[in-house]
Amino acid sequence: MPVENEELEAQLAFVTNPQEQQHIRSLWDTADPLMQQISVSLIKGKNEEVYQLTEKALKDGFSANTVLDDGLIAGMAIVGVKFRDNLIFVPEVLVAARAMKAGMEHIEPILSASGVEPIGKVIMGTVKGDLHDIGKNLCIMMLRGAGFDVIDLGVDTSSEEFIEAVEENDATILGMSALLTTTMPNMGKTIDAFEEVEMRDFVKIMVGGAPLTQEFSDDMGADGYGKDAISCVDLAKSFATESKTT
Amino acid sequence: MDNKETMTSKERVLNALNMKPVDRTPVANPTSVATVELMDLVDAPFPEACQDPELAARLAATEYTELGFDCVSPYFSIIQESSALGCDMQWEGKDNWPTVRMNNPIWKSSSDVKVPQGFLEHRDIKAITESIKILRQELGNDVAIIGKTMGPWTLAYHVFGVESFLLGTVDDPTETMKCLEKLTEISILMGQAQIDAGADALTFPDHATGDLVSGEYYKRFLQDIHSQMVDKLPSPLILHICGKTIDRMPYIAQTGMASFHFDSKNDPQEAMDAVDGGIGLVGNINNPETLYARGPSEIRNEVYKCLEAGVQMIAPECAIPLATKIENLMEIPAAVKEWTAERHP
Repeated sequence: MPVENEELEAQLAFVTNPQEQQHIRSLWDTADPLMQQISVSLIKGKNEEVYQLTEKALKDGFSANTVLDDGLIAGMAIVGVKFRDNLIFVPEVLVAARAMKAGMEHIEPILSASGVEPIGKVIMGTVKGDLHDIGKNLCIMMLRGAGFDVIDLGVDTSSEEFIEAVEENDATILGMSALLTTTMPNMGKTIDAFEEVEMRDFVKIMVGGAPLTQEFSDDMGADGYGKDAISCVDLAKSFATESKTT
Repeated sequence: MDNKETMTSKERVLNALNMKPVDRTPVANPTSVATVELMDLVDAPFPEACQDPELAARLAATEYTELGFDCVSPYFSIIQESSALGCDMQWEGKDNWPTVRMNNPIWKSSSDVKVPQGFLEHRDIKAITESIKILRQELGNDVAIIGKTMGPWTLAYHVFGVESFLLGTVDDPTETMKCLEKLTEISILMGQAQIDAGADALTFPDHATGDLVSGEYYKRFLQDIHSQMVDKLPSPLILHICGKTIDRMPYIAQTGMASFHFDSKNDPQEAMDAVDGGIGLVGNINNPETLYARGPSEIRNEVYKCLEAGVQMIAPECAIPLATKIENLMEIPAAVKEWTAERHP
């Protein structure tokens, strides 16, 4: 079913790249109007509406995966584009994330009970000396929504803690976040520590955070740089596919 | 501008802050150039150098005596006021910055905002005010002493938590304004105490960071407050905001602040065009990629780019990574002097 919701149509107008718009629009190709309404409410940060609409959708017989993909994640795709293009900033993303979380209160227990295999296991943490976690938490929410099993090490994570978590959980993907230019070098130190314990070849390392750049990521020896939560998910998916094919 | 230096460092910095002529562009870091190497050199490590005035002064003096910058800045971090307010602190060690555990905030609303009794007598406030007095006594009047007082937006992150404060700006903007207005009392107290101790200028970090909030947010929540700070603090103020800030520079230029310390994410020429002479600029040598990870020739390129654009004071973009090499920092004044000699032989 094409996009019928006028408010959603208005939101799609913010996606100015035609190919990208076509791709995002296609997320609702088979979606019920109720899913479109969930997406709109999420984009606008209406957490109570999202909570109620999600509950209704599940009662009406839609599967948890359908509500997650066609309602919540599809809405977040537009939020991600608006954030990337500086049309909205962190406060507006936070209210959308809060709305997604409200919907996930209904979805998560169903998914956990379903026993579906995660598409990969990701260790996430903010580096040593850095206590900022907004960006990391947004990434985690999106990764979980995309089907990853995520182990969140929180903030102020030492190299040893990252190594231990990768080892204990047999994870193949690690994500590090930093918000401060003063703590960014700790990403390089952690990557070096993985080299030292000869574990670097077994884990794909992605880095992200507001002050980071691709150049810095390359300098530190990371496998990938995620500019925002959506690219973090894309990176993780590509790493997961890679590890399954090798 | 004459190649022969005719001004003291202090005169040079103050003239630049007041947009008056200088003998050469000053080199100053309004945030911090403390490094592990410098801490070892003068035996003044973190976190003690953030708590003890003697150590703070000793470490701060290296900016002038070892690196050859034109100022000294004894407030290295951004946490002194928050520690004195009772925030949950993580002091770390020599190789990491002390920080506030913002996921454990102390206040919930504007009605909680109160300056504790004896605030100015707290160890971590006196570490700064007393160190300013020591620096003046030991270095004399030739070098500029730049103090620092946190703006209300930064304080709000610390006392309310970043996420909860930013959500509040959407949920209840009126309450946000109340919080900010009440927090300015702390900014003024801390700033005035440093002026009284002998600071020549104050850095005013207020992290309405480009990557977090929009230029319109700056205008809506902070522009007027920053203008009021200019009236309430009798000292040149250097506003510091990280990230891409071109969108808010025209607003910042109208606040009356003396200078704006800007991030390397902004092109120096574009920044100069954006402020259009309304405010001086300080900056913007990249920290993580250039000062930390590269060498003198890359640093020189960035210094020259700032000078060509007419940036009034040359500085790293923000507090530098603690493992930055001394030789890289020394390249900044060396490059400024060489550029001056080349252009004004």
